[in-house]
Amino acid sequence: MDGSTKLDTKTKRFSLSPTKLKDRTAKYVFFTCALMSVVAVFGIIAYILYASIPAFQHVGFFKFLFGTKWDSDSDQFGILPMLVNTIVVTLGATLVGGIIGVFTAIFLVFWCPDKFHLRYAGKNKALGRMVNWLNKINLRTIFDQIIKLLAGIPSVIYGYFGVSIIVAALSGADPVGIGKGALSSALVLAIMIVPTVTSLSKNALEAVPEHYYEGALALGNTKAQAVFKVVLPAARSGIISAIILGIGRAVGETMAVNMVSGGRVYFPNTLFTPIRTLTTNIAMDFGEASPISVLRNALFATAFVLLVLVLIINLSINLVPKEFKGKRGKKVLMPGEEVAVYRKKGVLAEILKYVSMVMAALVVAILAAIILFILINGIPHLTADFLFGSSSYNSPSLVPAFISTAYTILITLAISLPVGICSAIFLVEYAKPGSKIVKVLRTFIDTLAGVPSIVFGLFGNLLFCKLFGGYSVMAGSFTMVLVVLPTIIRSTEEALIAVPVSLREASYGLGASKVRTIFKVVLPSAFPGIATATILAIGRIIGESAALVYTSGMLLSTAGAAANPMNMGSTLTVFLYMCWAEPTRYLGFDQAYATAVVLLIIAAVLNFCVYLIQRRVKKKR
Amino acid sequence: MKLFKAKEKKQEVSEEVLEQAAAEGGVSEQTAAEKAGKEDKAERIRKSLDIFDFSGETAVTIQDVDLYYGDFQALKKINMIVPKHKITAMIGPSGCGKSTLLKTLNRMNDLVEGCRVEGTIEIGGRNIFDKSIDLAALRKNVGMVFQKPNPFPMSVYDNIAYAPRTFGIRKKGALDEIVERSLKQAAMWDELKDRLNKSAMGLSGGQQQRLCIARALSVRPQVLLMDEPTSALDPISTGKIEELCEELKNDVTIIMVTHNMQQAARISDKTGFFLLGELIEFNNTEEIFTTPKHPETERYITGRFG
Repeated sequence: MDGSTKLDTKTKRFSLSPTKLKDRTAKYVFFTCALMSVVAVFGIIAYILYASIPAFQHVGFFKFLFGTKWDSDSDQFGILPMLVNTIVVTLGATLVGGIIGVFTAIFLVFWCPDKFHLRYAGKNKALGRMVNWLNKINLRTIFDQIIKLLAGIPSVIYGYFGVSIIVAALSGADPVGIGKGALSSALVLAIMIVPTVTSLSKNALEAVPEHYYEGALALGNTKAQAVFKVVLPAARSGIISAIILGIGRAVGETMAVNMVSGGRVYFPNTLFTPIRTLTTNIAMDFGEASPISVLRNALFATAFVLLVLVLIINLSINLVPKEFKGKRGKKVLMPGEEVAVYRKKGVLAEILKYVSMVMAALVVAILAAIILFILINGIPHLTADFLFGSSSYNSPSLVPAFISTAYTILITLAISLPVGICSAIFLVEYAKPGSKIVKVLRTFIDTLAGVPSIVFGLFGNLLFCKLFGGYSVMAGSFTMVLVVLPTIIRSTEEALIAVPVSLREASYGLGASKVRTIFKVVLPSAFPGIATATILAIGRIIGESAALVYTSGMLLSTAGAAANPMNMGSTLTVFLYMCWAEPTRYLGFDQAYATAVVLLIIAAVLNFCVYLIQRRVKKKR
Repeated sequence: MKLFKAKEKKQEVSEEVLEQAAAEGGVSEQTAAEKAGKEDKAERIRKSLDIFDFSGETAVTIQDVDLYYGDFQALKKINMIVPKHKITAMIGPSGCGKSTLLKTLNRMNDLVEGCRVEGTIEIGGRNIFDKSIDLAALRKNVGMVFQKPNPFPMSVYDNIAYAPRTFGIRKKGALDEIVERSLKQAAMWDELKDRLNKSAMGLSGGQQQRLCIARALSVRPQVLLMDEPTSALDPISTGKIEELCEELKNDVTIIMVTHNMQQAARISDKTGFFLLGELIEFNNTEEIFTTPKHPETERYITGRFG
């Protein structure tokens, strides 16, 4: 050896020993999985566009966009009213929901007390014990769980809440006495985006360095001033992103809006004019559209417009400046010019503080109202026969829905978990952090996450229903794979990143290969995170309706028929929606509330599981 | 290790490989076909792992090694001969390249993006940058203990059995033996024999670090690299680990990076002083600390900088 050999460790890694071969194969497998999201996004865009072209040809692209008439008898299709309605309703929802969400987040981070500090001096022992018990509750955790539960409630339940409470309350103000329309839609959507906005704003607020807050206090600010003048502006970009995501959610929401919007093609001239948004336009007509009609193509075209709109909204998050730069263009005072202004108390900040408390109380009240409303109306109808009896037209039961839900969960997870986990492994363990390929993959995963579920539904209808010969639980499950894939990838990624590098080093240092390190050390350590991802995915599957109605179908099945996943079948949430959309003498609101009780319980149990896992992880650290 | 006797071949295959010359009499009955198949596999594994020959007096020979992270040159023309079954300490101020050199010895630097090495490092008679070198084999023979204890979040037993399992040992009996032997070597057997199935995360910092040493010993490395193994520990744990190192050097060549000058003086036989990527002085520890030849060395060990 003369010592002058030039060695490049990079190129030397690949000589062909069996372990290296295995490593390389694994890498390509992971990469292929990661590419699935990209394929899915392109597939969805291409398929939907392809199916909408006949409509654009028939009507003309601009006439379609700016036409005001939607009439399937004369094949006239213009979606301007729907566009306008979507924008109006979304703006209203964002205004209300955004304010509630951001203020609730502020309360949660800064003013939510850890515990009750109740005192009880009386002699009643039971009461004293109860006060003690109340004092032990961690309020922050409870509040967190409330937000998560709000996020986990299926949108159809919000629809029922909207129809029975909000619409009913507004009907007094409506000259026609119905109460459906833009206002009720906006209010329902506002409630629905609150959890999204709150939890993301909360993350943004918590990410603001502690010393900003302390610095403001040290300068003599009150707590309220420090929060509203320093911390809130510093968290600005995160909060704007949260609101944008909320907007995306509002634009894409289908079923709940469908139940409270009125369903007519009008412009929102008054708050109570019955309207259609882009999404509800699809949900209203797709069931009746014959497979060869222009109407069907026009509905796909609507979905395409919706998809483009949502993609623009979601991609605009990238335009939000990452850092708070402060206000520009402030006048610089010349010496001698300065005017010392001492305010004893920031009055505005004080007011905002109370606003945040009121908003937080409002959120709790809304959740309580929804839960009480469902329980009170549902429990009386929750009979053993309805839960476990055999299902027929005369006496519908939930058994087929249970079976279909179980199948949908199993099939969806069987595909999405391996693909999702492998994608995450590629992103975290193989791709260079910050490299182009990671950025591209991330963008596509985020895009997939933003696609409205009704669009997934139409895509599944085009591709999977054809593949499996018509509506079937199988087709619905394949559609759901695309819906939950981004959630699984994201949460798994976070879990993998949280595994300390030193563990990987230790494993390599013992001569283990990369694949072995990943499967024996990294994945087991990330297990709680992956379990959380799985539960979140299950929650999403159970709560989904728009993506399933036109893929796995909406019908009153029997246990026997539901046992075969190649048949049509409705999950619990679709069944719930059916009670409103296709009521019969034996299937109506009563059955709906009973089903909603079951769904609420499932949502609560899933949330509790996530909480338990996370608490265990925290304790271990 | 070249002298396999016919009798020993009956031993469980990969066990044979790892336990090498240690002739432990665990004979297992197997069908002829199974045995033949396993012997083939054994031969293969043995060939792929036993590529080093440590019969000479020198364990590691470092020749003209330059190392770059991108454009930055972290090591400059390092030459060093590390004797077998001795403790060699590497000292120097932070950022002088000593840890980098240590990580190069079992090619952990391969994990660093943009890292490039020139020169040769011979371990057990083989250039570790040679194309034919299997990284697994290299790291099996050149073990590593890290600055912060990093036990896997598994039981004590599984931590130590991890590496043997990596190399194909599955038999409970063989694994039990390895675990016991490794823990005894690390002087932890009495402490831990009753809690082998408890999580390693529940151990104290010092115990965790000694467990990591035991884990490294499980595959009978010839060279053990230690990257500031005691910097995260209290004085008592540090003392225990130093004692352990002195015991271990009868079987293993130890190369240790340390910031603690007393530690280097106490336990090492040879000491190398690094500064800004260069090896300034490399000599017997006694001479380095009593009569350093280089003024920079003297200034450093007397605490005038660093």
